[in-house]
Amino acid sequence: MRIGALTKLLEVANAPYDRLADLKKKKRIIGSTLADVPEELIYAAGLHPFLILGTNNPIRYSAALLPDNSCSLARSNLELVVGYQGDFFDGFILSQVCDTTQHLCDIWKRKFSDHYFENFLAPRQVARPSARDWYAQECRRLRKELGKYTGKEITDDDLWRSFRIYNENRALLRKLYDIKREVPALMTNREFFDLVKATFFMDKEEHNRLLREVLDWAEQQKGHLQGQEGYFKLIIAGIVVEPPNIYDLIDEVKGNIVGDNLCSASRYIYHDVPLEGDPAEALAERHVRKPHFSPINSDVERIYKDLLELYREKGAETIFYIHIKYCESQDYDLPDIKVRMRQEGIPLLELETEYQTTHLAQMKTRLQAFCESVLGRM
Amino acid sequence: MSDEAQQMRGKMSAKELSRKLTEEYLQDARTAHEHGKYVAYTTAVSPVELFVAHDVIPIYPENHSVACLTKRMGTELSMAMEKKGYTSHLCAYARSDLGYRITGKSPMGGIPDPDFLLACNAQCFTLTKWFEVLSRKYKVPLFVFDTPQWIRDPGARKEILKYCIRQLQELIAALEELTGKKYDYDRLAEVMVYSRDASLLYRKFLDMAAYKPSPISIFDALIHMAITVYLRGTPQAVHYYQTLVDEVQEKADKGIGVVENERFRLYWENLPIWFKFRDHFNLLKSYGANILTSLYVHAWSYEFDISKDPLETLAENYVSVFSNVTLEERADMALELFRRYCLNGSLMFINRSCKAVSFAVYELKDIITEKTGVPALIFESDMGDPRFYSETQIRTRIEAYLETLQRREAEGV
Repeated sequence: MRIGALTKLLEVANAPYDRLADLKKKKRIIGSTLADVPEELIYAAGLHPFLILGTNNPIRYSAALLPDNSCSLARSNLELVVGYQGDFFDGFILSQVCDTTQHLCDIWKRKFSDHYFENFLAPRQVARPSARDWYAQECRRLRKELGKYTGKEITDDDLWRSFRIYNENRALLRKLYDIKREVPALMTNREFFDLVKATFFMDKEEHNRLLREVLDWAEQQKGHLQGQEGYFKLIIAGIVVEPPNIYDLIDEVKGNIVGDNLCSASRYIYHDVPLEGDPAEALAERHVRKPHFSPINSDVERIYKDLLELYREKGAETIFYIHIKYCESQDYDLPDIKVRMRQEGIPLLELETEYQTTHLAQMKTRLQAFCESVLGRM
Repeated sequence: MSDEAQQMRGKMSAKELSRKLTEEYLQDARTAHEHGKYVAYTTAVSPVELFVAHDVIPIYPENHSVACLTKRMGTELSMAMEKKGYTSHLCAYARSDLGYRITGKSPMGGIPDPDFLLACNAQCFTLTKWFEVLSRKYKVPLFVFDTPQWIRDPGARKEILKYCIRQLQELIAALEELTGKKYDYDRLAEVMVYSRDASLLYRKFLDMAAYKPSPISIFDALIHMAITVYLRGTPQAVHYYQTLVDEVQEKADKGIGVVENERFRLYWENLPIWFKFRDHFNLLKSYGANILTSLYVHAWSYEFDISKDPLETLAENYVSVFSNVTLEERADMALELFRRYCLNGSLMFINRSCKAVSFAVYELKDIITEKTGVPALIFESDMGDPRFYSETQIRTRIEAYLETLQRREAEGV
């Protein structure tokens, strides 16, 4: 039985623009895109950070702005603002991690020339000390620019308060992930990752309040529920899982996601901002410690080293790799990842998908066949 | 100028000189280890001067791929790579290169394996990922020179430069570690002079397209840019471009144009379709049209300021290449070419291989046509893989476009 807090979080995750329509009356809304924009700065500026995660609705306008071999994350993000929810936002801060996102920033800016707009130029390498310093410098620039936009300087106290709220949010989500991992019957994968998704949209303090209620409920429930029996443990690798019905397919075959390296999950919730020293340095410190993200260059073997570590640490039986079609970064990594996993004897299932994929029957068949033939689950 | 260089200039045309220099350069690279030198793979837009000054021979997998693509090997090499699980919608350079790694097939006897890899993402992001694959394959270090977009904010630009300079210092440390040799900054200063001179001469050559009729076409530029890509920073490159400039100047002085009765002076957006060079040139020529220039060929017309710290002027030049500026600035750069060369038409190619250059083309076309009043043709294909080239459709569209230009001309527009 769901409690009210959980129900509310799930509703927000699945219909954020309807459920959060009132937000605009309270704060100006700043949309950002995956990955690595330091939302803590936006929050500290008294603005509402809202992470744009595209739309699963049909593409109508962005096809005329981006060629069809751009990834659906880029196309559906642009579609969301150009075709559906442009009025919801007062401004945008977009990060650049690849060729597509770099151009996306330029096109977006031209389409919303009357909106507040910032590029966030995150380093595209974390292999050397210069990356950390550059991230800190970009945070300082963004802090200054946000101050100009609001007409009010962001103080260190504003920042520390924001960091504490965000750290609490991450800690609560990690704690819930731990419980869900051990007691998969508590909630479905879809529910858990929707609950994480809600944090991208909601006021963080409100999300924390609801999460605390969910956690209290989870602590009470876990003793009465069965453990891992009947479930198999898997790791989800990739950037995002879209459309979210993919989680439903995993739930149907009783897969228990025990770890991930998604931008829309672990990369967002792992590691806290240190609450000491220079605030920009503190944000940079968190940034360089985040899980590996394919477009950001580091040790070139991390594409599989990190996955192997996660797989072993969590005692998983398999890895599902969510491949967003036309994501160049994943296109280059995948063949080497597959070879390495084969050498290690680790079953890996690649699921190629797009935001606008509506028919999942074929994927369902593949997934079921994989579970039967490779994992021996009938 | 050395005696040898004088002698070469006296005897050889630029074309012959190009062939000779290319052979010598490849021979040096193939025997690098025998002479205590190293081989580094790098990207065409990258601070290669740091290699040249440190006895590291730069090799450009992109250039090798161009050789494969012009010989129409693109499909065969791509298919070899696709069998290993890569997709056919990656960059054709990368597909050719990875296909070459599998099959060993090459029109020029291949290129030596790398000791070190450098990817500069001002050019594109793809190169980083492609070189990551090579770094894993050869187990050699990869250095990513990360160049944030050169946004139009003076404060941000100052900080971007600092980040880039810091990375060049990190690159020098990595090269010292590779070779075990201390870096020689005096030698770098000498290399910078050669690089500046070659770049200025290369630009002078490109600017000869301003003559009416133009003594060069973009196809000449694409052939002659090879030397500045792989030999900049050397006296040979300076001598080569001086020879070339002299030759082309002579043609210009005599009023010799590449196209007889030149009527349409065109801008080309994007990289070329390497396997269609001759066909495109002949088709356009039959209409009195000539493609004169593109931002792509200008990517190597650097303006190094040797009164500055070498790392500063290197960082400034490489971070601000056309593929790393904002859409508005890129449009301004293209419009400057329209003004300088009196262009009156534009072919805008959306290259499936190159997201870095292609993804802004729709918007770029809007800006350019609005500012110039000149119609533009957009068409989509691939720079290296004939499977994605629709012969009849593209030919018909180019012909229709040229007929539009003819009509405008007849109407006095």
